[in-house]
Amino acid sequence: MAAIYVENLTKKYADSEVLKEVNLKVEEGEFYALMGPNGSGKTTLASIMASVRTPTSGKIEIYGRKPENAKELIGYVSQENFSSPILTGKENLMYFAGLLGYSKSEAKKIVNELLNKIGLSGDADKKVSDYSGGMRKRLEVATVLFPGIKILVLDEPTTGLDPSARRKFLGLIEELRKEKTTILLITHIGADAELASRVGLIDEGKIIAEDEPERLKKMSGLKNVINIETTIKSEKVANALRNFSEKQKVLETDVGYRVYCKDVEEATPQIVRSLDAIGCKVTKIETEKPSLEDVFFKLTERMVREVS
Amino acid sequence: MGQITATLNKTIKEFLRQKTILFWTIAWPIIWVLIGSFSFTENVPSEGIPYIKGAITISMTVFALMTAGMANLPGNIAEDRERGLLTKLMSMPIRPWRDLVGRILALLAFSSLAAISVVFVGYICGAGFSFTMIGFLQSIGFLLLISFASAGIGMLIGTFVKHVHGAIMSGVGIAVVTAALSGVMAPYSSLPWVLQSFARIYPVSSANSSITYLLVGEAYAGYSPLSESQAALTIGVSLLLFVAGLIAYSRFCWRKG
Repeated sequence: MAAIYVENLTKKYADSEVLKEVNLKVEEGEFYALMGPNGSGKTTLASIMASVRTPTSGKIEIYGRKPENAKELIGYVSQENFSSPILTGKENLMYFAGLLGYSKSEAKKIVNELLNKIGLSGDADKKVSDYSGGMRKRLEVATVLFPGIKILVLDEPTTGLDPSARRKFLGLIEELRKEKTTILLITHIGADAELASRVGLIDEGKIIAEDEPERLKKMSGLKNVINIETTIKSEKVANALRNFSEKQKVLETDVGYRVYCKDVEEATPQIVRSLDAIGCKVTKIETEKPSLEDVFFKLTERMVREVS
Repeated sequence: MGQITATLNKTIKEFLRQKTILFWTIAWPIIWVLIGSFSFTENVPSEGIPYIKGAITISMTVFALMTAGMANLPGNIAEDRERGLLTKLMSMPIRPWRDLVGRILALLAFSSLAAISVVFVGYICGAGFSFTMIGFLQSIGFLLLISFASAGIGMLIGTFVKHVHGAIMSGVGIAVVTAALSGVMAPYSSLPWVLQSFARIYPVSSANSSITYLLVGEAYAGYSPLSESQAALTIGVSLLLFVAGLIAYSRFCWRKG
């Protein structure tokens, strides 16, 4: 029996259809990442699984049960920081232990184990308002690690974390994965999705592709990507780069652009010269393997992440 | 430890650790007891001064309960919603009514603490009371009614005012304005007839008058609020507000999208 089974799931609001006949199957113990841009419907899908929203039509089952009848099996960590900032980390977990019906002595024991597991034992008695973003997110993930919870639905857990906090957080996810916990990770960050055993790409309410990360990259046909960091970013620079890219597709990043071309060796010096000619200095240029964000861009011609 | 106890513990800790809540619910009424006890007793015969102080102490105790129910409770609900806790709770195998009972018990515990603090300061300042044991127990009952009515208004605010500051300010505004208009903060006899009618319908005010009547005397209450019809109105409207708040909170705050 699948841990999560979704068939032709649709969610409509008054003026828009957020999910359009979505089909999805996540097996027990699988680490599945659902990747898509803001507004693609991934959070809506997660919240339906967590029984926070109801679908308009279609079927959704958690271990063969309707989500509202399987709440004890699902641990949902939403995007928001829901822990109380004026309580300590330990008090927050004791609160959730109480909600789940543990006796005080049982709760103390489990909470201490959880604090140890997420690496917050030393900070257990600090107020959450004194925690960093990463510590707070790890604490919130601990709320779904109580015994009996079989599926973790984590909605954008690494958004807003600095690189070090993100690494620590992903380390925790790796540990959970080793314990064969079923994980559904909602993300718009390709590097996070690459950790999953399977990735579903969602766009405008539809799952447009689904496979293992490497197979998705292979299927996209992308071979090499030139990552360019420039002193300026403008439409003129992007247009200059389009001449070197397959189907004239250029992905804008935080610090420059990504160009998809077949012959990297030949294109690299030409790109530098071409940008130099329009007064744009290249501060860094390197060849990379395509990422899942490149695959998404190839399939949709849209970026999965907003460029800051 | 059940869901009710867990929610009670969390909510009471949140109330006790926020300085603004402590100030407006406990310190502010105490400041007014001090000001009232030493400023509003000139030209009053000396034998009446303790009862004037007693009436001021009761009014400020009632105001503390109003602030707790109408501002602290909706602030707490709005904060839990704003930071996504209510969404998180909806995904868990818990019952909304248990969450609500936990919150109400926390409110009653915190309100009791506020009331005891205000009465204690009033007593130190020389507030005088004259009552029987039955009158005292009836007063406790009216204090509970004030808490229920305030909690009902607070739940309505917390349900329909989405943002934390909006919810708190709405609650404070309603508490201050209605306390001023209904005679909680001014003698009933000084109100125009329209506001006197409001004071009899508004359960917080009529319960305040009932407590004053029971603990200080009719002269300080301004009218007899313990007639059968008036007492029934006080109890009925209090419970009506509470039930309206309960229904609004459980239907709209826990509604799935």
